[in-house]
Amino acid sequence: MRRIGFLINPIAGLGGTVGLKGTDGSEEEARKRGAVPHAQDRAEITLGVLKNISDTCFLTCSGEMGERALLKCGGIPFRVVYSAPKKSSEQDTKNAVRAFLDEGVDLILFCGGDGTARDVYTVAGRDIPILGIPAGVKMYSAVFAIDPAAAGVLLSGPYDLRDAEVMDVNEEAYRNGVLETHLYGIARVPVRPGLVQAAKQVFEEASEERAKTEIARFIGEVMIPDTLYILGAGTTTEAIAQRLNVNKTLLGVDVILNGHLVASDVDEKTLLRLIDGHRDVRIILSPIGAQGFILGRGNQQISAAVVKKAGPENLIVVATPHKLRETPALYVDSGDRDLDAVFGKSIQVISGYRIAQRKKIGYPGTENSIPL
Amino acid sequence: MQTKILLDEEQIPKKWYNVQADLPSPLDPPLHPKTHKPIGPGDLSAIFPMELIRQEVTTDRYVDIPEEVREVLQLWRPSPLYRAHRLEKSLKTPAKIYYKWEGVSPAGSHKTNTSVPQAYYNMKEGIERLATETGAGQWGSALAFATMLYDLKCTVYMVRSSYTQKPYRKSMMQVWGAECIPSPSTRTNAGRAVLEKNPETPGSLGIAISEAVEDAAGHSSTNYSLGSVLNHVCLHQSVIGLECREQLAIVDDYPDVVIGCVGGGSNFAGISFPFAGDKLTGKHTETDIIGIEPASCPSLTKGLYTYDLADEAGYTPLLKMFTLGHDFVPPEMHAGGLRYHGDSPIVSRLVHDGVMRAVAYHQSEVFEAAQTFARTEGIIVAPETSHAVKGAIDAALACRKTGEEKTILFNCSGHGNFDMTAYDAFYSGKLVDYEYPDELIKQALGRIPKIS
Repeated sequence: MRRIGFLINPIAGLGGTVGLKGTDGSEEEARKRGAVPHAQDRAEITLGVLKNISDTCFLTCSGEMGERALLKCGGIPFRVVYSAPKKSSEQDTKNAVRAFLDEGVDLILFCGGDGTARDVYTVAGRDIPILGIPAGVKMYSAVFAIDPAAAGVLLSGPYDLRDAEVMDVNEEAYRNGVLETHLYGIARVPVRPGLVQAAKQVFEEASEERAKTEIARFIGEVMIPDTLYILGAGTTTEAIAQRLNVNKTLLGVDVILNGHLVASDVDEKTLLRLIDGHRDVRIILSPIGAQGFILGRGNQQISAAVVKKAGPENLIVVATPHKLRETPALYVDSGDRDLDAVFGKSIQVISGYRIAQRKKIGYPGTENSIPL
Repeated sequence: MQTKILLDEEQIPKKWYNVQADLPSPLDPPLHPKTHKPIGPGDLSAIFPMELIRQEVTTDRYVDIPEEVREVLQLWRPSPLYRAHRLEKSLKTPAKIYYKWEGVSPAGSHKTNTSVPQAYYNMKEGIERLATETGAGQWGSALAFATMLYDLKCTVYMVRSSYTQKPYRKSMMQVWGAECIPSPSTRTNAGRAVLEKNPETPGSLGIAISEAVEDAAGHSSTNYSLGSVLNHVCLHQSVIGLECREQLAIVDDYPDVVIGCVGGGSNFAGISFPFAGDKLTGKHTETDIIGIEPASCPSLTKGLYTYDLADEAGYTPLLKMFTLGHDFVPPEMHAGGLRYHGDSPIVSRLVHDGVMRAVAYHQSEVFEAAQTFARTEGIIVAPETSHAVKGAIDAALACRKTGEEKTILFNCSGHGNFDMTAYDAFYSGKLVDYEYPDELIKQALGRIPKIS
């Protein structure tokens, strides 16, 4: 019997319709402005798809945090394992996840936004896969299904797991029109098993782990002596470091020279200083977040100044085919429009051993605009 | 306004044309994979009939086509040459576009031009079964058809990704009595070795060739048959270009540009070698001969001109050719027939000498070209062929800019009736534009001492 932990953040998305760009700490204000919660409705769509699913038991929270939607939907066996107060908080999300883990769930399905994703991930980590039903104001994290029904479809069949970034968005700054996102962690999320089944046309490495190894094998082969390699965040760049027997920080930016780590988890200033002393520099990056940002999200240490100093032509983008499949276009938002424009309409992304893909680059406010 | 230029059956060439006769110096010989010494006929006799070995090395300008073979070729030859009036109009080009339509053969492509003589010579020398590889299934079905004519058995190792993409190619082979196995398979040492390393591999032509060669070498009454790359295959395909030259002469024309898609090189060789011969012998020195290859497997444009193995496992001789390395497994894309790491040694030599040149395109742009072609000329071409279509369209568009009234000839090598999954992927936006990261490789090669 499969066990799925299920929770709803009842106030997720509340701020969105009334222009609050997030709901953290402003629920009262949102309701005053006439916002109606819709997380319940979103979750019910997913549950509708999962109705009469066999061999699965849901473990959930009382009331609005899960029980109510399951009762309304019917047809899904469930048990309440966490009793939530009438007015739930971030702490209740974390407590509920802890209760799920104690019960030994196989996966956690949650309904919310970036904030909820962060709270779920904080407790669940990489050990238990998580999947988001999109209901928040902001969804920069890559842990969400495309829509609530897709989440249901995904869990109805067999699935593989892949890495997905959990992004931390500074809500205060966001309300003031500044998008400040940081890579908070890398969760495991279910995905439809390789394209082998889905479309029978692209037949790449079905396993994402193997794909990372292949990318790392290639990069290892083309690395040049006496060249400074700046490695961005994420598990693909981590695989490259592993191939060199170098311990890389998962969420930070690290620097490698001649197969050795010369600096770990560095900031922009350190990068600029290191680049100063070297003629040849390469920056190896993987797109971050649901929208596939190469620069400007989660790799902020690698700033416009850093890229300009290293030379934009020395940027090597790497990503697994699995990641690329989820992101139709890639985005650059370095904060320097002139630099962004240098990348043109498309970019080469290393996706395997001696294999690359040409991916479109989208620019906000153009025909290739970002769908936010 | 004439659309089709046709020849009588009597005008099917009676001799194949061998461009080796007109090369300024002989080709570099194939080398034994172990000793690295030039191979002799004895080295090949375990898997090829003597007549094909003779054709492989001959420098005679012409080789007679046996009457029994010509009689079979009559089923679809001479193939029509079309003037693409509607395509020209839609491109608003002053250029004249002609295409040689090879999709009229029973198997749907040019491949039967060589499968028939190959099966014939094997039958003549008492062989009972042929083993071969196939990428997209065009070659496998062509050989299945030919072996049936001469009562031979046929085993086809089909690259796994294509086997899954194009199940009906396998059915065709079955109708003609051949056995089709997805490669890598567990039948051969070569296949098992690859599967052990990577059970999810999409396979490649290089791997499938290893399997078929191993099968043939291990059975005395079984020979191996290759659908491209080798000199005798290019020789057999020369009927395409020879007919084109006659057909164009009827309308008093001669091509300024000759185009074909390139995987192993046989259909490109077929249409272009007679014109390359004219160029080498000084009859027409200005012809622009262009091979079109996929950006994901660009051996002619990005590969090295060097000796390399023709297969993955190392059973075949080393051939001097443009190669991306025999261990390179090209990414899975729809033109499965173009997923080959190397190229015909003769095509490679001619590109190296500047007699021909090559251009590479991404998958989605060639499908766009194929769509344009289908919506003007009506024919839905194979994904491989769509590369040639794209090349021809670009050449015609260049003429629109310069106002030149060039004559463009391209080989429309096969139909795409079994490739609808590929077109589906194109329309659903699922095509991935793979490419070969040659810059990174070059930078590394430039600094790191070469390891032999």
